[in-house]
Amino acid sequence: VETAVTGGAVGGLFTPQSELTADELKEFESKRFTLGQIPLRPPPAGMLVV
Amino acid sequence: QKKGLQTKAEDTTLKWYQELQVSANQCAQSFEGLNNTKDLQTKKLRMELQKAATIPVSQISSISGSKLREIFDKIDKLLSGRPVVSGGKSVSISQHPNGLDFVSYKLAEKFVKQGEEEVASHHEAAFPIAVVASGLWELHPKVGDLILAHLHKKCPYAVPHYPPMKDGTSVEEYQKILGYRVEDGGVEAQDSFLKRMSGMIRLYAALIQLRWPYGSKQGPDPHGLNHGWRWLAQMLNMEPLADVTATLLFDFLEVCGNALMKQYQVQFWKLILLIQEEYLPRIEAITSEGQAGSVTRLKQFLQSSLRSRQILPPKGQLSAHFWRS
Amino acid sequence: TAASSSTCSKAEAGEGDKTGEEDDKDDKAAQSLLNKLIRSNLVNTTNQVEVLQRDPNSPLYSVKSFEELRLKPQLLQGVYAMGFNRPSKIQENALPMMLAEPPQNLIAQSQSGTGKTAAFVLAMLSHVDPNNKFPQCLCVSPTYELALQTGKVIEQMGKYYSEVKLVYAIRGNKLQRGTQLQEQIVIGTPGTMLDWCLKFKFIDPKKIKVFVLDEADVMIATQGHQDQSLRIQRMLNKQCQMLLFSATFEETVWNFAQRMVPDPNIIKLKREEETLDTIKQYYVLCNSKEEKFMALCNIYGAITIAQAMIFCHTRKTAGWLAGELSREGHQVALLSGEMQVEQRACVIDRFRDGKEKVLVTTNVCARGIDVEQVSVVINFDLPVDRDGNPDNETYLHRIGRTGRFGKRGLAINMVDSKFSMNVLNKIQDHFNKKIEKLDTDDLDEIEKIAS
Ligand SMILES: Nc1ncnc2c1ncn2[C@@H]1O[C@H](COP(=O)(O)OP(=O)(O)O)[C@@H](O)[C@H]1O
Repeated sequence: VETAVTGGAVGGLFTPQSELTADELKEFESKRFTLGQIPLRPPPAGMLVV
Repeated sequence: QKKGLQTKAEDTTLKWYQELQVSANQCAQSFEGLNNTKDLQTKKLRMELQKAATIPVSQISSISGSKLREIFDKIDKLLSGRPVVSGGKSVSISQHPNGLDFVSYKLAEKFVKQGEEEVASHHEAAFPIAVVASGLWELHPKVGDLILAHLHKKCPYAVPHYPPMKDGTSVEEYQKILGYRVEDGGVEAQDSFLKRMSGMIRLYAALIQLRWPYGSKQGPDPHGLNHGWRWLAQMLNMEPLADVTATLLFDFLEVCGNALMKQYQVQFWKLILLIQEEYLPRIEAITSEGQAGSVTRLKQFLQSSLRSRQILPPKGQLSAHFWRS
Repeated sequence: TAASSSTCSKAEAGEGDKTGEEDDKDDKAAQSLLNKLIRSNLVNTTNQVEVLQRDPNSPLYSVKSFEELRLKPQLLQGVYAMGFNRPSKIQENALPMMLAEPPQNLIAQSQSGTGKTAAFVLAMLSHVDPNNKFPQCLCVSPTYELALQTGKVIEQMGKYYSEVKLVYAIRGNKLQRGTQLQEQIVIGTPGTMLDWCLKFKFIDPKKIKVFVLDEADVMIATQGHQDQSLRIQRMLNKQCQMLLFSATFEETVWNFAQRMVPDPNIIKLKREEETLDTIKQYYVLCNSKEEKFMALCNIYGAITIAQAMIFCHTRKTAGWLAGELSREGHQVALLSGEMQVEQRACVIDRFRDGKEKVLVTTNVCARGIDVEQVSVVINFDLPVDRDGNPDNETYLHRIGRTGRFGKRGLAINMVDSKFSMNVLNKIQDHFNKKIEKLDTDDLDEIEKIAS
């Protein structure tokens, strides 16, 4: 069996905060997402509550 | 930096989609010899292998947990190279050098067809089918990739990907690429098309949140909720399509909204709020009279979720009680 | 043997002798119920609706969308929540008439599954004034089970209209004397409904705004129902809207309808001809029932069968086949003749729910059941009449489909003797439509037929 094709830009269930780009981080930090700018990678585990 | 909604998926998404297609095509090529064999004995073997792979999938139902385990074990045995008995005959993938590729390919194809045919008309069937698929995926990752490849081919919205019309493609060809059935009689009716797409999206939404309860539970989820995030984010970053977007968002959220809410909490609610306040008006702007049904269902879902600050677990989810049956 | 018998408990033993007439009624009501249970979809029709207006000079309205009807928002939401997108063919014409002010009377006929129930439920819900806490709509149905099915539709469609309440006027639902009903909608069987209006005065018939008589053709097959319905109708006000629905329209139904509904508008939708045009038909040559079974397994391995219905000639074969299939791991339901209606309903319910995915049955007991919902029909035995002659009508009903752009269908016939080959040839000649031979040992061939 060959190795699986990894899922696009997605790694684990959460994205480590250190791996986020500045834009992604900004989106997760702000109260609202910007239309058309939602990060495809899931949020970091530490940013799930306000 | 891109501004506003896009008309196509991000490059990373498209690259992933294409890689999966390439790898599925390679797999299909590898067993071409088996497929086109003229040798009677080999032909028979192919039939037995295919039956051993696909019949168990058609037997998946919500009747009991023990029955589901039996089915799972049978398919796992086959993929692991051990002999299985089907219709009184014993068969194993080791009987042909490309046996594994063939069986994996047929199996994946069958899972997707079951979603298209069965889940479409019976939504709750998504859960037992998805949980078996997820378990096999964990042990046999290649099968998972093939499931995705088949799913994407039949329902590009599962990527999500909106294939552009290329120069030289006929309308008929293009309709097929978009997932419509085209026959001598013409293209299928919109309601029938939407129903099949709903079936496949619901299967996908069930897949990403379910895990085979008897698996190792150690390693990462083979294709988990992070893909739910990715799918939703990618959908919402693109310009909506009339009827299709509202229908599929509703299907997806009804099946895995509850799981996503628990996993991503505030960040998930930010998505819901964005849909309600900014995305839904975009959908409404492209909705014509007679297409209000899908939009109304989505709207109702968002409103009641936001009001109750809850998303109910989906109907038909397999309970702990089920696994004791 | 098969899984279903263990989970659909045996109903009470028969209730003594039945006259032939009662059997007949039982059959009609049972068929109607089983068809309701197995259906999850609108039936496709391409025939034109025929409309006869009471006042031919008034404009004829038809709607292409639910929005055009200006429904109460709670109701529009209820309609969409049921998964509907646009009105069915008969609804396009019937709904504007039923919702018009002043109310208009209507007699409507179309085959089952075309959206009549949904239409009159919407009409009832639209005409109710939720602030008034007394019955305003009556709906009579031929049997308790059928009334229950309609009640379910009312509850679904009224999901966002919780002020409106519903009560069942059926035997066994005993109320205290002197009760004044608060519910706006009463649904039940004619006898109990009449008692509630006349004898017990739970309902004030003068306050009824909409009176619905459902399944008129089934209704008149029962002694007394016709008379009871008429007596209820006589107690209502002149202004009360009368609506009558029927799947068929024989002379007797028509006479009854005209007595029930004064000054009617009439809507008819011709029954779609069953045709073999959209069906791919095949036959498989075998030597024994065991070989037939193997062929069946091969077919299962090659094509995706969401749900299949398999017809056998005798109960014995059906039982045997169900056993063999379960041994191979299939979830099989067995529908057989000696079952009570409740049991049959339970088996069909489970089948529709996808608990069982193969329904094995004998011809007698599946007569009248709409197989349009299932993707594959297999004649494990070809249909023959008592004298062993080909039963063309049954063949057509088993596998024929309606609506040219409806679902594609697949029918496979098992042939195991000179005799059955002969039957097959005669059926083929009768319909003048080729039935192709299929080699079930050849995977490519089987796969081809499904695409
Ligand atoms: N406008 C519609 N769009 C989609 N499905 C519909 C519509 N109207 C009815 N249905 C569905 O079609 C099936 C048959 O409708 P029903 O009202 O019971 O028909 P009938 O009373 O003529 O037998 C039901 O499952 C119902 O939910």
